[in-house]
Amino acid sequence: MLEPGKNLLRREVLPYFSTQIKDLLLNLEEDQCLRLEEIRLRCGQPLLLKVGERDFTLDRRGRLSEDIATGVRTSEEDIYRTISSISDNSLYAFAEEIRRGFITVAGGHRVGLAGQVVMQGEAVKTMKDFSSLCFRIAHEIKNCALSLLPYINSGSGNTIANTLIISPPRCGKTTILRDLARLLANNHKHQSGRNVVIVDERSELAGSYRGIPQLDVGPRTDVLDSCPKAQGMIMALRSLSPQVIITDEIGRREDVLALQECVNAGVAVISSVHAGTVDELQKRPIMRELLSSRAFKLAVILSRTNGPGSIQDIVRWD
Amino acid sequence: MLFKTLGIALIIGGFGGFGLSGARRFEKRVDELKNIRMALGFLEKEITCAYTPLSRALTRTATFCEKPAALLFAESARLLNSRQGTTAEEAWRTGLQKLVEHSSLKAGDISLLDSIAVQLGRSDAGEQRKVFDLLQEELRIQEEKARAELDSGHKLWSYGGFIIGTVVVLLLI
Repeated sequence: MLEPGKNLLRREVLPYFSTQIKDLLLNLEEDQCLRLEEIRLRCGQPLLLKVGERDFTLDRRGRLSEDIATGVRTSEEDIYRTISSISDNSLYAFAEEIRRGFITVAGGHRVGLAGQVVMQGEAVKTMKDFSSLCFRIAHEIKNCALSLLPYINSGSGNTIANTLIISPPRCGKTTILRDLARLLANNHKHQSGRNVVIVDERSELAGSYRGIPQLDVGPRTDVLDSCPKAQGMIMALRSLSPQVIITDEIGRREDVLALQECVNAGVAVISSVHAGTVDELQKRPIMRELLSSRAFKLAVILSRTNGPGSIQDIVRWD
Repeated sequence: MLFKTLGIALIIGGFGGFGLSGARRFEKRVDELKNIRMALGFLEKEITCAYTPLSRALTRTATFCEKPAALLFAESARLLNSRQGTTAEEAWRTGLQKLVEHSSLKAGDISLLDSIAVQLGRSDAGEQRKVFDLLQEELRIQEEKARAELDSGHKLWSYGGFIIGTVVVLLLI
C-alpha cells in the first residue's frame, strides 16, 4: 500500500528514472514529495514537476525553481533509460499498453507516453521513438469520500443511489471513486460491505499492475482491469453478481447503454464524467439523454477550491 | 639414449598436443555457434510467443543452453535483474564480453551477436521476431563457414603439430 512522501518516491518512483534525474529528485523535501502530482520528461526541454497547483523545475543543484528556463534539460538518453526501466526492457510485453498510450507501473503510478505513432489502417498499431513521458504519481487519500456516504446510502433499506461524480479534469474524481469503492466494500457503522466491481478501463482506479490492484479498493471488490467500460459492466453483471459497479469517465453511447442495463438489473452504478456543472453536462447529447432517463439519482460536483476532491455541490434527482 | 628418446617424445608430444588443441578450437566454435543459434531460437519464442519480460526470458534461456553460450544469457539477465538502470543494450554487451573470455568464437561471430544489442526488447513482438530470425540466419551461415574451416583446418592442425614436432626433432639430430 502507498506510504506518504519521500519513502514512496524513493521506493516506487525513482528507480525508473535515469541516474541524472534520480539524483536530482532525491533533493526534494518531504512536503514537496507529498504534494508531487506529476513528473514530466520532454526531450530537450526542462524537467517539469507539478507540485500542487504549480509547475516547477529542478536546477543543477536539485533546487526547485519556478523559472522553468533554468531547469535541467531532459536528454534523449534520459527518456530512453526511463522507458527501458518502465518496460523492464521489454516493450513487446507492453504492446497493448503502448497502443493505449500509457503504462501502469507497480504502485499504481501511470506513465503517459508520447512519441511517433505507427498506424495500421485506421487503428493505432504502436508507438516508437518516445519523445516525452508523464509520470503521474498515484495518491491514495483514505476516507476522502466519507462525507458522501450518507447521501449515497440515503435510499430506503440498504439501497445505494446511482451516483454521478461530475468534475473537470484533476479535481480528484478518481481518488473519490476509489475511496467510495473501498468504503462500500467494507462494513461501515450499521451497514455491511457490498460486493463491488470496478471496471477500470485505464488502470487508474485500482492502479493494477499485472492484474493485481496496487491501491486499497476494499475486501469485497473485484477489478476488471484494462477492460472497456461497456463490456466490463455487462461482464460484471453476468458473472460477478455485484451490488455496486464503479467505473470512471463515461461518455460514449455504448457506456450509457451498458449503464442503463445495469441500473435496470438492480445494480447500483457509481460513475464519473468530465464537466464543470450539470448545465454543461446537459449540453452533451448523449449525457442529456442519460440524465433524462433518470438513471442517476444523485450528482456530486467536484472542484479544486479547497484542493483536489472539494465537494462543490450535491444535486438530488429522486 | 634414454634421455634422447624421452626428449624426442616430449618435443613431438608437445607440438602434437598444441596442434590438437588448435584443432579442437575449430570443433568448439562450430558447437558454440550451434548452441547460441538454438538458444536465440528459444529466446525468440519466449519473447514473441510468451511475451516473457526480457530479464526472465534471458534467465530461462541461460538454463536451457550449455556453457559457454549460457554465460552470455546469464550475465545479461543478472545485470537486468539487478535493477540498477542497466539497459538491455548494455547488459547484452557485458554478457558478450563474458562470452568472449570463455569461448572459441571469432571476432566476426561476436560482431554478429553484438548487432542485436541495440534492438533487444525495443520493439513489438513482430519486429523482435524479424530481428531474431535475421540473426539466426546469419549465424547459420557463419556456422556453415565454420564447418568448412573445420574440415580443412582440423586436419591441418591435428597432423601439423606432430609433423612440425618431427621436423624439429630431425633438425636437432
